[in-house]
Formats: sequence, structure tokens, C-alpha cells
Amino acid sequence: MAYEKVLTRNVGRPAARTVAGYKKAGGYAGLAAALKMQPEEVVEEVKKSGLRGRGGAGFPAGMKWGFIPKDHDGPKYLVCNADESEPGTFKDRLLMEHEPQQLIEGCVICCYAVGAATCYVYIRGEYTAANAIMEEAIRDAYDAGVLGDSVMGSGFSLDMYMHVGAGAYICGEETGMLESLEGKRGQPRVKPPFPALVGAFGAPTVINNVETLANVPHIVERGADWFKAIGTDERNTGPKLYAISGHVERPGTYEYPIGVPFRTLLDGCGGMWRGRQLKAYIPGGASAAILPGEEHLDLPMDFDAIAKAGSMLGSAAVMVMDETTCMVRSVARLAKFFNHESCGQCTPCREGTNWMELLLTRIEQGQGREQDASLLSNICTHVAGNSLCALGDAAVGPVKSLVETYSGEIEAHVREGGCPFPPIRVFGNGNGGPQDSVHGAAGEAAG
Amino acid sequence: MPTVTIDGRPLEVEAGTNLIDAAQRIGVQIPHYCYHPRLSVVGQCRMCLVEVEGTPKLQAGCSTQVTKDGMVVRTDTSEVREAQKGMMEFFLINHPLDCPICDQAGECGLQDYAFKHGQAYSRFEYEDKRIYPGRERIPLGPNVLLNMNRCIQCTRCIRFTEEIAGTGELGFFNRGARTEIGTFPGKPLDNPLATNVVDICPVGALTSTRFRFAERVWYLDKRPSLCTGCDVGCNVTVEHRRGRIRRYKPRFNPEVNDYWMCDYGRGTFERYETLPRLAAPRLRAAAPEGNGGGPAPGVSAPASWGKALDAVAERLRAGGKAAVLGSGNLTTEEAFLFAELARAAGVASLPLVATEGPARTIPNLHGGITGRERHPNRRGAELAGFGGGEGPSADDLMFGDAAAGLDVLVVADSDLGPAAHDEEAVARLRRAGFLVVFGWADTPLARAADVALPVATHAEKDGTFVNVERRLQRFEQAFPPPGQVRPAVEVLAELLAKLDGESWAGVGTAAAFARLAEARPELAGLDFDELPPTGAPLPGFDDHDETMEKRAPASPAGRDGEDQGV
Repeated sequence: MAYEKVLTRNVGRPAARTVAGYKKAGGYAGLAAALKMQPEEVVEEVKKSGLRGRGGAGFPAGMKWGFIPKDHDGPKYLVCNADESEPGTFKDRLLMEHEPQQLIEGCVICCYAVGAATCYVYIRGEYTAANAIMEEAIRDAYDAGVLGDSVMGSGFSLDMYMHVGAGAYICGEETGMLESLEGKRGQPRVKPPFPALVGAFGAPTVINNVETLANVPHIVERGADWFKAIGTDERNTGPKLYAISGHVERPGTYEYPIGVPFRTLLDGCGGMWRGRQLKAYIPGGASAAILPGEEHLDLPMDFDAIAKAGSMLGSAAVMVMDETTCMVRSVARLAKFFNHESCGQCTPCREGTNWMELLLTRIEQGQGREQDASLLSNICTHVAGNSLCALGDAAVGPVKSLVETYSGEIEAHVREGGCPFPPIRVFGNGNGGPQDSVHGAAGEAAG
Repeated sequence: MPTVTIDGRPLEVEAGTNLIDAAQRIGVQIPHYCYHPRLSVVGQCRMCLVEVEGTPKLQAGCSTQVTKDGMVVRTDTSEVREAQKGMMEFFLINHPLDCPICDQAGECGLQDYAFKHGQAYSRFEYEDKRIYPGRERIPLGPNVLLNMNRCIQCTRCIRFTEEIAGTGELGFFNRGARTEIGTFPGKPLDNPLATNVVDICPVGALTSTRFRFAERVWYLDKRPSLCTGCDVGCNVTVEHRRGRIRRYKPRFNPEVNDYWMCDYGRGTFERYETLPRLAAPRLRAAAPEGNGGGPAPGVSAPASWGKALDAVAERLRAGGKAAVLGSGNLTTEEAFLFAELARAAGVASLPLVATEGPARTIPNLHGGITGRERHPNRRGAELAGFGGGEGPSADDLMFGDAAAGLDVLVVADSDLGPAAHDEEAVARLRRAGFLVVFGWADTPLARAADVALPVATHAEKDGTFVNVERRLQRFEQAFPPPGQVRPAVEVLAELLAKLDGESWAGVGTAAAFARLAEARPELAGLDFDELPPTGAPLPGFDDHDETMEKRAPASPAGRDGEDQGV
């Protein structure tokens, strides 16, 4: 049976950015249905659907909503996490640029369900186009009565604001985001208390990823059972966007049922670039462990299967690497990213990410020593699990997999006093590299 | 109250107590840098990681609270030790390790924990240390210097200025391994409490311009004392080398100054350096007959204690009109002995110098204490009998011509206020027939005296002060007085023995306090040697219950309420 796209139906249809155009394509049916239900029923339906957070951690969305105190006296908030900053991740951008009304609809339903009267969309500062489109869509939604006083005549009122970040990855961490939203330096808070009890401005707050919220209208409209029928099992349900980059013919964001085998993803984007050999892939963004390609060709791309394989689905940013890729160089680049983005407040992350970058760069440049692999591994142990927020763990992910899976490449660097792989090729400048291909939006349907 | 088991030892604590505090109570030290009991809990240094049964990861002791019964904590497992070792390595890889030229050496958190929890070698051999060029000696304000290379980013200083001083001059700038501490443009760290950030800085990143390079700290002897800067009575530690005070550091007293003291108070010991010292008793040769109000023509020359005291006793025995001018710098015991001396000599006039000064506020959990006087012990002197009674007031003596009508004037403090340094005021006091001056400083007033008696500074004696809230606090002698200088209590006891009988011979501070306590119902039941470490509130004690309710404590327990995150 062909898979019918859910989240990316309107990609390439600018008309659907307006409420009217979106409605014509069947939009806002979910909200209409939700407003006829009791808020608790909406929460129940989302719980039943098994929808798990699409931002990276995979926490059940309905359960998160359920943590919001019902009898809270005072404001509650929804903060939509649109600070999509992890290298290789660009799925939320697609949703905001092409399906802004779907996101607004999801936000409204969530706010109705948890009793929030204000919603902030915290968007990555670099997403200027997406922000402009969202602003426009929000204005239109106000005009159409989807936002503001008495949403669709229901008596439920909601205000929605875009909040533009200033380019820090750490503001994608939910409490770092709240600090930044409150106008403070973006650095994560000590937890507990969790945002569900003490969140934005000290009030109970739901924080959901863009894609998570985009799923919500469809769950309410078509029911949890329909949603659960998509995917691999009870714990991995619904449609999923995969942001595929690297050595493939047509990189881009592709929608599949969650849990589709990696081989299907690869075929869907035209296979390996110039027919090269698959060496490895990162299944879930910069913080996921690198998986050797051939052994994991048929790995179902869902939360549990990838976790079992020793990595994680994360944000489902799939980075594909061919046989010319130097793992030390790749991981050194990722380590540089995490060092650059560490907020600096906690010791293991601040010092550990810095040291890892220095060490990996040294190895890549041919000044490695025999004991460096075990030193790297030991630094990973001291960072992992000991940092204040998850960024420390994230930084460790790729480094650990390098030491565990590709220690041979470290040894080769040390032995040969330099990098045995071809030098870095500059892509994207019209020389025929993968970045020159047309930005593939939603891929072929499969499934 | 829930029970928590720490390293196998069960203990009951109030719900909400964090693990560092809980462990402290049974003598288990969980190492930490960023945690401070009066600052918000940020869980940044990660030094306090411990094992909590039922959680997969190590937990930060500062941010983990005992909430319900049955929590089991281990602070000494191999995992914990490995994490501590890792954290120490992280702290040290980019630390300059310039201990030989660092002021903090000897009282450095990095040195201590590196010794206790670290390893003796470095694995950071081939990389360059992170440095902050040009940020090695940045004056943050007049009293505090920053060396960013030594900073471990614990943010205690930032939180102090935000949460305790309420001034917020400091901030965290940049990100990651380049994160640094700094002031905001045009806003130097210049608040009355600024130097406290030096005390709470665990490393040598923040140093005090006053103490910087004055002394290696291991040469300092430390004794508990009180600040004499105002009538708050901040508890301090006098840190000196062979009788030369190098600095005051605040000494914890939750009822008074908590962990803090003001920058003004820190500088008050410098008076002992800047004023000349009265080193030996001085006696004016012979007063001419019929003093017509002009200065005595006799020459003042060093004399033995015996001769000087005999001269004083003789004049006091002679009778006539006399007064003893006291000051709020006296200890309660000295004031009592002066009052007894007056009684023995039939003197009824005990005026007291008390000068108002700028308000100085020290924050504590009870809403803070504000001192408004220049002297630490007006209330103690009054308790002992000064300030009331008949005869001229202190102002009449210093600024009027009341002294001219006196046969004998005993000034208890040669540095009793601006008058002691003012020529005209000294001349007015000098009109008394016979002028006796006690004091540690050789002021113009002391130089005008017929008998000048060198007595100890407050660091060289023991005694009690009664602060603005009527809290009686005791301080100890930090070091003995130099040369011929003697504690005033000893001198007064000797004089009293001459005038009032042998029962005064050998009376020390404790005995003087005991005799005062017999006479004053306010002090009933108090024993000098058994005073509570936080001081004894006297009747009429002005506690701050009202303000206490208004101001939520900045304790960790208070942090988990609605305040957090706002």
C-alpha cells in the first residue's frame, strides 16, 4: 500500500500558507474536532496515539501534556521549540516554510488541551524566511479567527508569538530556551523542577518540537487508532520526517512512516552520490553515534531499533558518508560544533568538549599518540552523564562511536603521522557536489 | 522529617535539605565549588556528584534534595571518586597552575581538592592551555581584581552581586570554554559589599586590592574577633602576622553578619597602622599652681607604669570636681571598670561620646542589620553606667567650656572621635585641672594629657560589645599588646585596687563581666566564658521578626518555590 503523506501534503503549495488555502486542503478539521471535545479528551487521544517527541528525546507528548497541573491558578504556556540547530537537521524548517498553518493548528489544539492562553514559537535566528512566513501565517490566523479572542467562536482564546533566537544551539535545550525567552542568557536550568511545573516565567509550560505539534491536528482529526496504524509498533507510531544529507544523490527532507528501513531512505533519495560505497551513517543528528553502513542497511529508523543498535533516532537527521570519508575528520568537525555551542556553565561540558576538539584536531593533523584513543574514551566517560544538561551527552555520542567503532582510523592517523584520506573537497560551489543538487523537499512516497 | 542514609549512616533532616548540607551534619564532606548555602543552586561545577540509589546517573548533591523517606546516598563509591577525579582534571587542564605567584595559594579550593580528589599528573600535555589575553589583572572595581585565567566559572561572584548585594554588576560573557566573568559597561563592581566576592571565590581569580600580595596566607595567625567599624558588630577573623593585622575576614554568624561584611569594615584595622602608637606611659613633670586655663607648662615625659598610676590615684583621691569621659570604643568590661573607678573616687559624671555615622547594612536571613554609629559599643558603655547621670555632657566638654570647671578629667579613649584630633577641642578639654588620657593612639588629645596611659587595641584584648540590636558579643585577644602597652582592664583593676581595696587586684575581663552581671539585671545569668557563639540577645533586644517575614531567605530551601526561574 502506498504511503499517503500526512505532514508534508502542502509542500510546494504556497496557497496553503493562508488559513483559507489550508482549509481548502482539509486543514483546521482537527482543531474544529478538538474544540468539540473536552480538553482532557484531547490529552487522552494524544496519549493513546503514542506520539513521541520529534525533537530528539522521544518523550511521549501526551504524557508531557498530562504533567501540566489542571487546577493551576495563573497562566500556563506552550513554547514551541523551533530552534532547530543541530547540524544535519532541517525538517522543522520545511514544516514552517511550507505548512505554517498546520503548526499553528497543532499549537492551538495543544493550548486548548492544557489550558494555555499564550503560545511562543521560539525560532532559530538564522531561519529568517521561516520566521517571515510564520509571522504572516499568524497574522492571517488572527484575521481568520483561528487565533485571538474566541478561537473559531469556541470561547477559548489564545495569543501566539514568534520569538527569534540569536543563534545559540543551547537554546534548543528546553530550559535554556526558557531562559532565553525570558530575556536572560541562554543556559539550561537545574532540573527539577521541570518546565511542566515551573517553566516560562515560573508558570507551568509545555515545550514541544515543531514536528510533534504538526502531528497533533491529524491525530485529533483521524483518531489515535489511525495514527497508531502508521509505524513499526506501539512505541513507534505515526509519520516521521527524515532530513537526509551527505553523500546521497538528492539530499532533503523526506516523509515516511516512522521505522522505515534505512535502505528505503537511501533509495528514496536516489542512492549514494555518484554510485559510491556507503561507509557509515549518522541516524539522528550530530549527537547520535555513527553506525557502520553495511551492517545497518536494513535498520528500522525508529526510536527503539536505533537505540538497540547503539545510536539514536534523535531528530532523525540522517547523515550519509561514503568510503572517502575520514571518520576522525568528521568527528573532529562535530566536536568543534559542540565545543562552540557549549554554554560554558558546567565543568565537564565546558572543558570536555574543548579538550575533545583539541585532541581530535591534533590526531587529524597527524600529531596523535598511541594512548590518545583511550584518553578520548576516558574523557567521554567523565563528560557523559555528568553534565548539567544533555549537551555534554550529545557531544560524547559521535566521539564515543569513533573510539569504539573506528579506532582503526585513529591508529592509522597516528601510524602514518597524518590523515590517510583524501583532503576536504569544497562542495556547493558549482563543482557538481551533492549540495549543488536541487533542494529536495518532500521525497517520493514509499512504504 | 524524612530520613536519608548517607554512607550507611541514617539521619533525619528537614524535607528540602540538599545532600551537601545533609552530609555536612554527619561530618561527611561532599566537595563543591559553585554551591554556597546563601546563593541560588545552579549545579554548575559538578564537583558534588554522588550516587543516589534508584537513579541511573550520578546526581549533583547541591541540587538533589531529601524529599521523602528512604533515600540512600553514597559519597564514596568508585564511580563517585572517578567522577571527582575527572572533574578535577577538567578544572586543572586550563588552569595556569601559577600557585607560586598566586595570592590564593594556601587557601585555594583547587589546591585542596586537587590534593584530595585529583591525580598528580596531567594528561593534557600536547595542547595549549586556554588563556584570556589581557584579562590577567582587570580591576572590576576599586577593591577587587580579576585574573580570568584562574577562573573556574563557578559564578558565585555573579550570584552574590545579584542575590545578596542586589547590585548585579557582574555577568557571564561569551560561551563554552571562552566563558568569562566581567562587569557591564559603565558599571564597576563598586558596592559596599564588593569584597565578599573575593572571599567566596574558591580560586585566585578574584583578589582583594587591599590584601593582594600583602602576605602569604600560611604565615597568618587567625583569631575570632569583632569589627569595630560600626555598631552592627560583624563577626570577623583577625588575620595577623606577629601582631600586624593583614586583613579581616567575615566570620559566620547567622544572627548578625551571616557570611558577609562590608568593605568599609575590612579597612578599619588600617587605623592601627596609620595613627601613631602610644607606646609608653607619659607623665607631665609638675602642674603649676593655679591653672588659669592655659596649657600646662610642664614637659610630658615617659614614665613607669607605677609612677603614672600613682599620679592618677593621687589626683583622684584628692577629690574635687571630676568627670570620666567614655566612648563607644570601650569594651563593656572596660566601661564598667571606669564607672567603678568613678564611683570609688566619688565622681558622678560619666559622659559618653557617641557619634552617628553613615548607615551600613549587612544582609542576613532576618532582613539584615543596619548600623548607624561610628562606635561599636555605645550600648555596652551605657549598660555599664556611662551616658547618664549628672554633670556636663560629652558635647559640653568637647565643644563647650565645661572642662574648665573640672579639677580632674579622665578620658577613657584617646581616639574617641574627631575631637581627639581637633586642636580646639583638645584645648578645651585641656582646661581641666588634671587630664588623664587612656588609649592606644598617640593623638593630639593624648599628647595634651598630664598622664597618658598606653592601652591595648581591640585586637590585643578580649571583651564584649553590645550591638545595635542589643546583642552581646564576645571577642578574643588576637595577639598580646606590644612593649609596655597593657590591656585597659588590667590597668583599671590596678587603679581600683589602689583606690577601692585589694578585692580588685588581678580582676580580668571575665571577672569584671561577672561583677557587672551581678549589678545589671540585663546580664543576669550570663557567664563571660559561656556566652553563646552567636552572641546573647539582651532584654530590649530588637529582633527583626517583621522584616524576616517580608524577605524570603535566599537559602536553597527557599529556592524551590515560586521564586525559581522568575
